[in-house]
Amino acid sequence: MPSELPLAPSRAFRGLGAFLWTELLVQAHEWLAMATSMVVQGVLLVFVWILDPSLLPVSFLGAILFSMFTMGQRVLNEAAYLRIDHKANDLYLASPITPEGYFLGMALGILTVYVGPVLAIGLLSLWVVPYTPAIGALLVVLALSVWLFSASTGYIFSTFFRDNRAIWAYSSLFFNLFGVLFPVFYPLSLFPADLRPIALVLPPSAAAALLQSSIGAISLSEGQIALAAGALAVEVTLILFAAVLWARRTSREA
Amino acid sequence: MTGEALWSDQLRKVYESRGAPPVEALRGVSLEVHRGERVALLGRNGAGKTTFLKIASTLLRPSSGRIEIFGEDVDLRPDRVRPYIAVVPQEGKPFFHLTPREQVYTYLRARGLARETARARTESAIEQMGLESVADRLAITLSGGQRQRTMVATVIATEAPLLFLDEPSIGMDPFARRDVWDSLRELTRKGSTLLLTTHYLDEAEVLSDRLYIVEGGRVLVHGTAEELKRSVGGTLKVTLQGPGLVVEEFQGFGHCVSDGSALTVIVDPQRLAELLQIAVRRQLTAGVGPVTLEEAFLRVVGRSINAE
Ligand SMILES: Nc1ncnc2c1ncn2[C@@H]1O[C@H](COP(=O)(O)OP(=O)(O)O)[C@@H](O)[C@H]1O
Ligand SMILES: [Mg+2]
Repeated sequence: MPSELPLAPSRAFRGLGAFLWTELLVQAHEWLAMATSMVVQGVLLVFVWILDPSLLPVSFLGAILFSMFTMGQRVLNEAAYLRIDHKANDLYLASPITPEGYFLGMALGILTVYVGPVLAIGLLSLWVVPYTPAIGALLVVLALSVWLFSASTGYIFSTFFRDNRAIWAYSSLFFNLFGVLFPVFYPLSLFPADLRPIALVLPPSAAAALLQSSIGAISLSEGQIALAAGALAVEVTLILFAAVLWARRTSREA
Repeated sequence: MTGEALWSDQLRKVYESRGAPPVEALRGVSLEVHRGERVALLGRNGAGKTTFLKIASTLLRPSSGRIEIFGEDVDLRPDRVRPYIAVVPQEGKPFFHLTPREQVYTYLRARGLARETARARTESAIEQMGLESVADRLAITLSGGQRQRTMVATVIATEAPLLFLDEPSIGMDPFARRDVWDSLRELTRKGSTLLLTTHYLDEAEVLSDRLYIVEGGRVLVHGTAEELKRSVGGTLKVTLQGPGLVVEEFQGFGHCVSDGSALTVIVDPQRLAELLQIAVRRQLTAGVGPVTLEEAFLRVVGRSINAE
């Protein structure tokens, strides 16, 4: 008999590691894309520096969160491109690799490559952000939460498109709206008071508000902190769960 | 693993899309593929071949009917079927930023093969597909045929028990096609089972132990290439052409197909001389050759495989 025997069906994330490596090799060729992934953040930081340098700590933290958030856009583009143009879904999903292994492998591969420039911003931020170990740990946890949220959203979105061209417009609208318009780069206190509760429940701006309050840039009530942290935790968990289920469901067309 | 490699019963698929009438792509396809066999679905564009393959490979849900792979229900337990299969998708492309060697190797690793096995199988598949000279070039720099060979290499290297190949040799030059055919035959010697689709008659004839002719979402006939050719009702075909051609004069000799200016008549060798005498008298040009799968296809489907 052929030597390839099925592995235990209980291994839900079978193939994830190896597919992560595949995606890493693929993405690593995109030097220009890696560099340009920081353009928006860089430009906004320069604006802030010119306009009001006292806001730089907030903006640096925002730039890190925004970078993690826009990785979801890359997952969206990559997942749709591989499925539509390369038929990679047919190759990888009709195989022992699980749908969730495929989705998370792709997302982690993209993260591994694009986290480099984010670390560079993190390094620069050492000069302006008053880090303590606790603030540093908070930043890491929040950044990863925002990434998980956006990568999951991106993968789910990717399944709705039949044509790559249609994606560009929607994805840049979505990611710039929630990542730039809402108070991620600037303090929540400058956002209209009536709309603040909305900012506190949207993942990128909720994470930003928690970080801003941790460095004393804004003051949040205990209720607001609970709202932002609670909303973020619930949304990330739910969307990740939904993305795994959706990945399984859409591994077969109707 | 129990049961036939693949078995389907009355498989139907209707594509529903908003703002367009539903498309009945499969209208009750029943077929079976025994273990170790090479079976071809032969049909024109739009016959339903890809649809069948996508359902069989767990990528598309059927509208009704049943399909099993090694005794597992494909629609109910795709997760149990997937470890047994590998697919060369129609119009699939390798990752542009991987080399053929990386593509094959990383795919095998993702399927859970150990490093050593994956490395050895990668080298052997690259060699079988004649990709040695381009094995370390990024796929984006390869020709269409080389990319397709990379896809085939990726999939045959898995040595999965059941392989699906959707139009495997499309875009390849004649030499590369031979290599692919040889490799696929070699695979079944190792114990794999193959289901491929093609609209190339020679590919179906050379490669398959049995074939199913598919048209309009139905299986019209199946059997070995020899059986199908015999069913045409003669062993020779004569193609006649010329201004003096009167179709009625030849209809008594056997099955006749006229395509505009030429008439093809299937005859028994005993009546060939008689037929040719008429042709000479009418000053027609006549070409005589053995019956091929083309005539079988034409008789069964009523049109040429390349007709739109
Ligand atoms: N996603 C789809 N939506 C609607 N119709 C489809 C879809 N895919 C295929 N079809 C139609 O189903 C029929 C069979 O297609 P297909 O299985 O691709 O045939 P083949 O592979 O034999 O060329 C064709 O009429 C085709 O237009
Ligand atoms: Mg097809």
